[in-house]
Amino acid sequence: MSFRLVAAAALMVFAAACGPKETVVKIAVAVPLTGDMGTEGQGLRRAVELAVEEANASKRFPFKIVAAPYDDRADPKEAVNVANLITSDPRVVAVVGHYNSGCATPAAKVYARAPVAMVSPAATNPEVTAQQNSKDWSGPRMVFRVVPTDDVQGSYAAMFAGKKLGKKRMALLHDKSPYGQGLAEEFKKGFVAQGGKIVSEDGISVGDKDFKALLTKIKNDSSKPEGIYFGGLYTEAGLLLKQMRELGLKDPFAFISGDGAMTFGLFDVAGDAADGAYLSIVGVPADELPSAKKFVEDYKAKFPNDERKPFDHFGYEAANIILAAMERAGGPDRTKVIEELKKTKHDGVLGTTVFDDKGDTTSKIVTMTRAVAKKRAFDSVR
Amino acid sequence: MKKLINNRWTPWIALAAAAIFPFIAGAIDANYLVRVGGVIGLFMLLGLGLNFTLGYAGLFDLGFIAFYAIGAYTTAIAMRAGVPAPFALVLAVLVTVGFRALLGLTILRLRGDYLAVVTMGFGEIARLTINNLDALTNGPKGLQIAPWRPLNFLSTDPNIQYYLMILAAVALGVVASARLEDSRVGRAWIAIREDEIAARLSGIPVRHYKLLAFTLSAAFAGLAGGLFAQWEQFVTPESFVFWESILVVSIVVLGGMGSIAGVLVGALVLVGFPPLMQWKLSADWINYRYLFFGLILVLVTLFRPQGILPSSRREAELTS
Amino acid sequence: MLVQQLINGLTLGAIYSLIALGYTLVYGILTMINFAHSEVLMLGAFMALGLAALLPAVFGTGLVGLAGMFILSMAGAGLINVIIERLAYRPLRHISRLAPLISAIGVSIILQNGVFIWVSTQSLPFPEPVVIGQIEVFGATISSLQVIILLASLILMGLLHFFVEHTKLGKAMRACSDDIQTAGLMGINSDYIIALTFFVGGALGGAAGVLYGMNYGSIKYNLGFLPGAKAFTAAVLGGIGNIRGAVLGGFILGFLEVLASGYIPNGAQWRDVIAFTVLIIVLLVRPSGLLGEKIAEKV
Repeated sequence: MSFRLVAAAALMVFAAACGPKETVVKIAVAVPLTGDMGTEGQGLRRAVELAVEEANASKRFPFKIVAAPYDDRADPKEAVNVANLITSDPRVVAVVGHYNSGCATPAAKVYARAPVAMVSPAATNPEVTAQQNSKDWSGPRMVFRVVPTDDVQGSYAAMFAGKKLGKKRMALLHDKSPYGQGLAEEFKKGFVAQGGKIVSEDGISVGDKDFKALLTKIKNDSSKPEGIYFGGLYTEAGLLLKQMRELGLKDPFAFISGDGAMTFGLFDVAGDAADGAYLSIVGVPADELPSAKKFVEDYKAKFPNDERKPFDHFGYEAANIILAAMERAGGPDRTKVIEELKKTKHDGVLGTTVFDDKGDTTSKIVTMTRAVAKKRAFDSVR
Repeated sequence: MKKLINNRWTPWIALAAAAIFPFIAGAIDANYLVRVGGVIGLFMLLGLGLNFTLGYAGLFDLGFIAFYAIGAYTTAIAMRAGVPAPFALVLAVLVTVGFRALLGLTILRLRGDYLAVVTMGFGEIARLTINNLDALTNGPKGLQIAPWRPLNFLSTDPNIQYYLMILAAVALGVVASARLEDSRVGRAWIAIREDEIAARLSGIPVRHYKLLAFTLSAAFAGLAGGLFAQWEQFVTPESFVFWESILVVSIVVLGGMGSIAGVLVGALVLVGFPPLMQWKLSADWINYRYLFFGLILVLVTLFRPQGILPSSRREAELTS
Repeated sequence: MLVQQLINGLTLGAIYSLIALGYTLVYGILTMINFAHSEVLMLGAFMALGLAALLPAVFGTGLVGLAGMFILSMAGAGLINVIIERLAYRPLRHISRLAPLISAIGVSIILQNGVFIWVSTQSLPFPEPVVIGQIEVFGATISSLQVIILLASLILMGLLHFFVEHTKLGKAMRACSDDIQTAGLMGINSDYIIALTFFVGGALGGAAGVLYGMNYGSIKYNLGFLPGAKAFTAAVLGGIGNIRGAVLGGFILGFLEVLASGYIPNGAQWRDVIAFTVLIIVLLVRPSGLLGEKIAEKV
């Protein structure tokens, strides 16, 4: 079989797979769709598609809206590529993205030059919005964030651990990502401020599976920690829980983590070991807000084979906030949408969202939940 | 096709076309390609660099991206400390070469696949160290860099400015590679690659030349890293994972080991293909990008194992 | 704590050793690093999952079910490895040393993305056919799971040793490892032996994948990458191409990681740095690995 033949065949397949150019208004979804974080990004994509489908069905707009996916593979270089691609397409009115702070930060600079609004559903590093205050910022303020930054969750968890659970000594763990480490650092600040002691601090890597050695060390630590605070995502959180139980670390030894771990996937990874874990979530859990309940049901109906991921409802909200801004702006005008976004006062699955002068959500509500394995649910803890 | 490659005017025409491209890109709705072009250019630089180590000297290096990272972070840290941008670039090259020389002195006595694992190990050591030394590198949160726009008179678009700067660097790299290839040094490298013992017996100071190849590579990586950092204005450890090292190795091998044109084409294909797919594939097919990419790797290797544009020596070796 | 950490190290080391054996067997015979090995181990885990999902009554329960799941997944993984060799490596073997490598990288990408697209993007829970219990020994907690893993690994390594040292086919494999051309001259069908080697290596990788899934409770499309890279390091540490070296390297790496995480303050984030640094130091002192032979080059 000659090389030419194969090349020709490949080109034909490629041509067939190319999409046509239609006249629509696009909301770009710039998240990792493949690669290690692909799972999370696919969830966000689904959430935005749901929001867009509802908008089209309601006929609020005289044009069709499409959720256009762009894959940044959680790689900052890809993220900037994708940002360039997005800004060069005039049909894109705003961006829901990125997922990783490491991607959101450089990509935002590209969006600023266009300018096109970026509403992040999951990037929690303060730098993402803070960089707009630098003198080198090359455009208007157009970064928004529907997810609170790490300090909100971390400090709440510290208060919870100290006051509600009465813990005085905790072991600190994080996954060395901007999200996880940021969360852990905030917890530490809050916990120490109220007189608690962090007996040890360790970082793991996303993708690591074996924490037995680390957990054994914590278990045998002479300072006798009363629990672990973990900043990170559900896969590592689940594995930690599973291995903790295998080593005999259970109640009253507490496991506290954040919204990156609060997802049903946790039960897939940890099974019964997840029982009793404390997980905080920003805002109120989706199942408890009436508006959110509808989202949960609609998601299940539209995507019966896919499970909701921790940040999906943030993606849904980000999309809806953009749609609302576009409605107020009177059409898909990028600059007008940016201006309207600043004036957002949106009631939705996250409660009421208002942006402060940096673009961060003013919502400081955090709810602590406890995992119940046999119900595969998270019960709010007051 | 061969005639086209070997024509002495081809490189100049290609260079001119590449230089003009960004200015006409706007007109043909291809601004995105300027960005992609810049990224391809960075990998061309990396490929040209690794070509010294792998292509000419035959040393199997699986951790090359670590030096890209060192170049990028040196630039970032220097600029944040107030060092002016051009000097930061020079510093990046120097520091990168320094680290590489140290590493080379330590490990170059290892053979073949042992060298591969050690270089892979060093790549991971570099990345993890950068991720862990929060005090110096801000760890996973990354470092922001002030913009440097020396070509503002040509265009205010940073993509165009950096595209041109990278193009200049690549051109420089090509000239340097061509000169070295055709010199005593280049011939010594090839001799070492083909048969190390025979080379030593012929009087070639093998250790020195290996170290030279190894270290020169780093200059390219450092420069590329510095330009990358200044362009993106942001460095984070996530940009320098093991997979990128494998990508550069693939560029050199698939393009044609020891062939300058081959490396350039290899970078064009391997680095250009995924963004091209991202641009043109409809939403349903986006997830298949890397599946296609893997298929291309396998198919091109199966049908042209000597590389897309192998050096004439290699072509003779592998197809006789 | 030491006992517990030793047990942790043993389990981890056992899994690394099995994977490392896969790398070393293939390398010994072809001097080729099978980059796709990490995906073969991933596929072994997914096949086990598939078997348990398709026929839960047969494979989902009991010791017999577990063994059956094991054996079939191993066979499947071995077969996949053979097919990969036939399609992606054999045509390139005689052409250059690096070409099969790039092909292997391509295969690895295809397999990973294939599973991502067509099986699942998420972490899938791994079946637990036998009830896991825990016992306390010398102040350490051992789960029956760890016992199973250790036993399975030791049995497999024992079987491999017997096969390689005491059977005719094993002898043929050793001969090909030593000098494939001469082996051919002796009447050994080298293509067949190579395929067999890939089968055995793949089967061991598949077994490691199943044990991996059992040990951590869930599997994902990218599970192979990290343990694959580490096991490859272990194989080199022990002396690539050397079977005993792979086992030694695997256990040393397992213990190293455990000790780094367990005893060094803040060690967990430096764990891999420590492991690779030790590797570099070992190789500087013994450039062919711990048990590797100094290959005399005929001039």
